[in-house]
Amino acid sequence: MAGPLSKYALINAKLRARISKILPDEVFGQLAKAPSLEAALALLRESPFAGLEQIYAATGDLKLAELELLKSEIELYRSIREYLHPASRQLVDALLAQFEIENLKNAIRIYFDRKVRKRAVDSNSHYVLYDPIIHTLSIDLILNAESFDEIAGVCDGTPYAQIVRKYSHTVEAEGSLFRMEVGFDHYYYSHLVEAIDLLDRRDRAVAVRLIGVEIDLQNISWIIRFKNFYDLPLEAILATIIPGGFHLNRAVIDELYQAQNVTSVLQGFVAGRYPGLSTLLSAETSSSTARLMLIQRILDEIRKHEVQRILAGYPFSIGIILSYFVLKRDELQKIRMLLNAKQYGRQQERIESML
Amino acid sequence: MMSTTPMTQLFAVVLAKDQERVTETLLREGVMQFVSVLDMDLEKPEKLSAVASDVSLADFSDLRKRVEGILHTIGVIPSAPQEADLKNRASVNLGGESGRLDKLDAERQGVRERQRAIQKEILKLEDIKRQIGLYGLGLSGVRLDARHSILAVQTGQLPASNVRGLDEALKGLPALHMALGQEGDRVHHLLISMKRDREQIGGILAGVGWTNVEVSGELLSAEANLLDELSGKLQALNAEQKTLQDQATDIVRKEEPHLRELWVKLRVGELCSRIQANFKSSSRTVVFAGWLPASKKQRLIDRITEAGAGRCYVEWHEAGSDEDVPVQFNNPKILAPFQMLVRNFGVPRYGTIDPTPVVMPMYLIMFGLMFADVGQGLVLAALGVLGVRRLKGNETKKGLYNLSWLVIWCGGSAILFGVLLGSYFGMSLFKPLWFDFHGIVSGHSNSNSVINDISDVLAITVYFGISVIALGLIFNWINIIRTKRWMELVFDKGGILGGWIYGGGIYIASYMIAHEFKEFPSGGALLLLVGLPSILLLIKEPYHYFKHERGRSDRKPNPAMLTLDCLMKWIVELLEIYSGYLSNTLSFMRVAGLGIAHACLMISFFTLADMTSGVFSIVILVLGNILVIGLEGLSAGIQALRLNYYEFFTKFFHGTGKLHTPISLSSQL
Repeated sequence: MAGPLSKYALINAKLRARISKILPDEVFGQLAKAPSLEAALALLRESPFAGLEQIYAATGDLKLAELELLKSEIELYRSIREYLHPASRQLVDALLAQFEIENLKNAIRIYFDRKVRKRAVDSNSHYVLYDPIIHTLSIDLILNAESFDEIAGVCDGTPYAQIVRKYSHTVEAEGSLFRMEVGFDHYYYSHLVEAIDLLDRRDRAVAVRLIGVEIDLQNISWIIRFKNFYDLPLEAILATIIPGGFHLNRAVIDELYQAQNVTSVLQGFVAGRYPGLSTLLSAETSSSTARLMLIQRILDEIRKHEVQRILAGYPFSIGIILSYFVLKRDELQKIRMLLNAKQYGRQQERIESML
Repeated sequence: MMSTTPMTQLFAVVLAKDQERVTETLLREGVMQFVSVLDMDLEKPEKLSAVASDVSLADFSDLRKRVEGILHTIGVIPSAPQEADLKNRASVNLGGESGRLDKLDAERQGVRERQRAIQKEILKLEDIKRQIGLYGLGLSGVRLDARHSILAVQTGQLPASNVRGLDEALKGLPALHMALGQEGDRVHHLLISMKRDREQIGGILAGVGWTNVEVSGELLSAEANLLDELSGKLQALNAEQKTLQDQATDIVRKEEPHLRELWVKLRVGELCSRIQANFKSSSRTVVFAGWLPASKKQRLIDRITEAGAGRCYVEWHEAGSDEDVPVQFNNPKILAPFQMLVRNFGVPRYGTIDPTPVVMPMYLIMFGLMFADVGQGLVLAALGVLGVRRLKGNETKKGLYNLSWLVIWCGGSAILFGVLLGSYFGMSLFKPLWFDFHGIVSGHSNSNSVINDISDVLAITVYFGISVIALGLIFNWINIIRTKRWMELVFDKGGILGGWIYGGGIYIASYMIAHEFKEFPSGGALLLLVGLPSILLLIKEPYHYFKHERGRSDRKPNPAMLTLDCLMKWIVELLEIYSGYLSNTLSFMRVAGLGIAHACLMISFFTLADMTSGVFSIVILVLGNILVIGLEGLSAGIQALRLNYYEFFTKFFHGTGKLHTPISLSSQL
């Protein structure tokens, strides 16, 4: 059986070098200050994201540039997978599924808009990925399907067929894809947890913590959104909760749901487990959007805190790989957010507050 | 050299009416790093306020960045303003210029909108092309089961006058139609669309008077024609896209001269505003203060006096050993690559030793010993020359330019040591001037030099290490004497007692080696060499307690605990001194280690080459040399740097200084 050193020495060195190449905060600060989208793209010229400017200059289409970012992110997972010991590859495969699921969700949304909501299919179909990510799925056929049965048929041989069949009637009855999308997310996380169970003891402990925090954050975010924006009852929310979270138990979920002021509940959650972050919660916010943004920020800080903990700890574990993915995803999300904000002419202060 | 540039502090008062001229003078001279007048311990006019200005620093700065952003999109990085730009300084109509930029942005945005529309069309056609590629059209034989195809293909006729209407109506939909022929006033068309759009398409066709007709035999070749037409259309759209891309660039290019000029004006205005942001004004005067090199003092005072027509008051304050005094390196240009290495570690505190002139020979000796080869040194030097030629004059890549110079120096050092040790691409073409390193490593040296085996080589590096550490200690003592920290001079790890123990340790080690490790120096000598300084170190903690900590705490200290504490600190300090100096000295053996590895690698490649013949042997030698240059060159460079940083700098260099950053025309803001 391979030891942690032989499993992770090379990838650890490689990823630490790559982490040092992740764009520093000052670059994001400069991007936020850039006077226009074109100026922001020009600032990325000396970075690994130089290709974005070329795509935008050639097409004027930022969405195409974003599609390239997505492709490069998928490629990143694939390239790292190659350096891993077989025991750790399954986890990366499970993580890679998030892209396939998101792509599938996008395709089904386009179908749903056209077929059920009777909306014209806009150019969104150009911004989905047609090449296989893990399974061979004909996205073309999904986009042009006549029914969910047809979509399920296209997905036959993949875990998604069952989910589509299970929720198709509910979706048609409710006129919303919400249940099906939650079903996909549940599948993703349960598959991820299964992959974690296959890891050895030390790796499992690290992965359970980081992925568990991710699940917590996803659940918190859902509880807040579902309650405040969809006004769902507690039972319905409990049905959407993803199992496998690290901190979030039934009591905290109940409390989050009942609370008038969610930030105060979060304060208790954060103060107990991440005392360094409680100052963030002391910020006064008036509007619900601002509160949501604050909560999002706190959740991001929690994730960052976990990543820093892993990076400062024992180096030869799956933690370095998971941390790298989190850091890279943050970097790409920030770039996407900044470029879109520039495209839509958002104010500098607003953009900076979102960083 | 060897010490940072002496600095002096200026405090000046000028008349408010002269402030513009004085500002320009300060910018032109570019030597002042401003400090807040309010923080100075001086007699100042009572009511001081910020200088009022019509245009704020932020206004200048924002517009300058905007212009810079636009210029960046066409790959133009504006260069710093010159003296002439300052001389011809003109006011800028910020509102007007901002409007002009808005217009430019809007024009460019218009082009981007058109690009987006064309891109949509391209994506639509590519979608159809991809579908045809996957499933065919079903006209000339179906490649896959037709139910898989998502294309709807139909042929029909419509009035010729409605063709344009059909074109318009299909815009935005992934659909393509092609004329097949004409019969009177009706034209035959082939229409390809997505099955999913059948309802919409049905409505459009009904509107243009479309009637479906059967596919005739002559249409069987339509698929090939259609693909050609599709490719043609895509080609045309891509060409149009390229034209628009050029057009977007041209919009900025057309304005480039004006934008460059505007950028310079804004930059000058911004720099002047930045200087004035450090001014404080009373009712009729303006006050400012800052640090500058003492050598520039007279010139600056002359210029300020000239600008203020003699109506000014100045005071000078000499710099003490205060940590707040900014630091300016004082080295000739030739040392720039080595100054970069020092700077990378930290900035020396004002008034302390700047090790750059010493780092140069030490770094090069270490590198040369680890990478001694004339041929490989020549390759390194050539690479460095290429880098220098490529990067010369590029202000944004100054670091890489200095690095290229460092590579040239390292190449030179490798050549020199290659001649001394007789290595030419790993071969012994000429007799070594010093000793046969490759011969020693391979175990058949026939030299009659004093260096005959590996242990002699190791000994050289240890002697070298001792010299480096001793020099570090001397520098530390100089720094401490300059700052008059007398107790530190005696009791610091790198102070006199530390040095005494190190010197004693070296003597004891030499004595034992000379007596083949069978004999120690006499007890008296041991006591004098290391015992006495070790015991004297015991004074340090009690002295520190009585001088600094006694009476500070509310609690009365327990004498036994205090004694135990002092003893523990003494023991730890002794352990640190003994183990630290020993490991620091032995650390230099890596120089020999790397040198041996370099020779071994070359010997290995020659052995491999001997096992083959002809071209293969040459390929092995060439690849071997490339690998050694890349791998060993990097290792030698890093190890030489590491030895400087951790064995030498740590003895005396604190790196807590702050670099002198005056506001000048070439300032990087």
